[in-house]
Amino acid sequence: MAHIHLGEGSFPLWALAVWTALGVGLLSVVVSRLRTGGIETRQVALAGIGAAASFAIFQLNVPIWGGVHMNLTGLVGILAGPLLGTLIALVVNVFSAAMGHGAVGLLGANVLVNASEAIVAYYLFRTLVGLDWDAFPAGAGAATVGLSVGAVVMGGIIVVSGVNGSALPRADLAVAVAGLVGLNLGVALVEGVLTGFVVQFLASVRPDLVGTGASDAAAESTGVTA
Amino acid sequence: MDRWKQYGSLGGLFAVCLAAGLWGFTATGGALPWAKRSAKTLQRGVQEGSGALVDLGRGIVVAGPIRKGGLVTEFAAVTGLLTLVGVGVYLYVDRYAADTDRDERATR
Repeated sequence: MAHIHLGEGSFPLWALAVWTALGVGLLSVVVSRLRTGGIETRQVALAGIGAAASFAIFQLNVPIWGGVHMNLTGLVGILAGPLLGTLIALVVNVFSAAMGHGAVGLLGANVLVNASEAIVAYYLFRTLVGLDWDAFPAGAGAATVGLSVGAVVMGGIIVVSGVNGSALPRADLAVAVAGLVGLNLGVALVEGVLTGFVVQFLASVRPDLVGTGASDAAAESTGVTA
Repeated sequence: MDRWKQYGSLGGLFAVCLAAGLWGFTATGGALPWAKRSAKTLQRGVQEGSGALVDLGRGIVVAGPIRKGGLVTEFAAVTGLLTLVGVGVYLYVDRYAADTDRDERATR
């Protein structure tokens, strides 16, 4: 659920410029790679559904850990891939900011946070599947680690930027932010378990969607086996 | 890989996350909604607190900025629109794109 919920004007101007520039840079790389590498039609469909699910769950406050929301960015990354996952992070954050959930000025920072979750979850899931892990532990583990990385990125951005109006020295601010990051790891656990169940279900009914049985299915359909 | 190794690793990861979550929960004020927790912690630093980890009585609610800003209808509309587009594209791909991809492979 890592997401910087601070209001407009919470970060100094230089920090906004830096995070926005980095966010734009990441999106430029993503768009460039999508243009050169192309997109599978199947991924576009998954990206559409992923964006809808992520946006909806983003706005729902769940009564655990005092009241938090989930992101589904780990699941989005696993299903749509790191490139489309990054674009989905942008779309969800733009719509959320338009409704007052997250500041417009923090769009670059929040895209970095959520994109890191999708990217890490995707590559870790592929690695674990390559190591012959089952769908549930691979999906749950990848999503939990991805979301944890996003939480650490969120904390890093806040500590590096500093918060306008906060009298806390930087060291105390780092401890305070570490507490928020720690809570996010607890939420990552819950979201990781949910993601694991979704991935396991998809792997059993449509293994091609999560890439756990596509090669076997292709071999069967062509009648050619090694 | 052996199943016990997979679930053992996952259990270890979950144990670390649970411990970090419990520490973060108490160190940042206990049972507080995220916005209030975040604001208090970043302004005043860590402050011990407690409360129930799960409060089912509160139910699942729409995020404060949307609820208090009177944008619940807009939220539902955007969600509905994104869902329609997503499901529409999925159905299109499921019915037609598979044929197109097969034709493209056949002509290569």
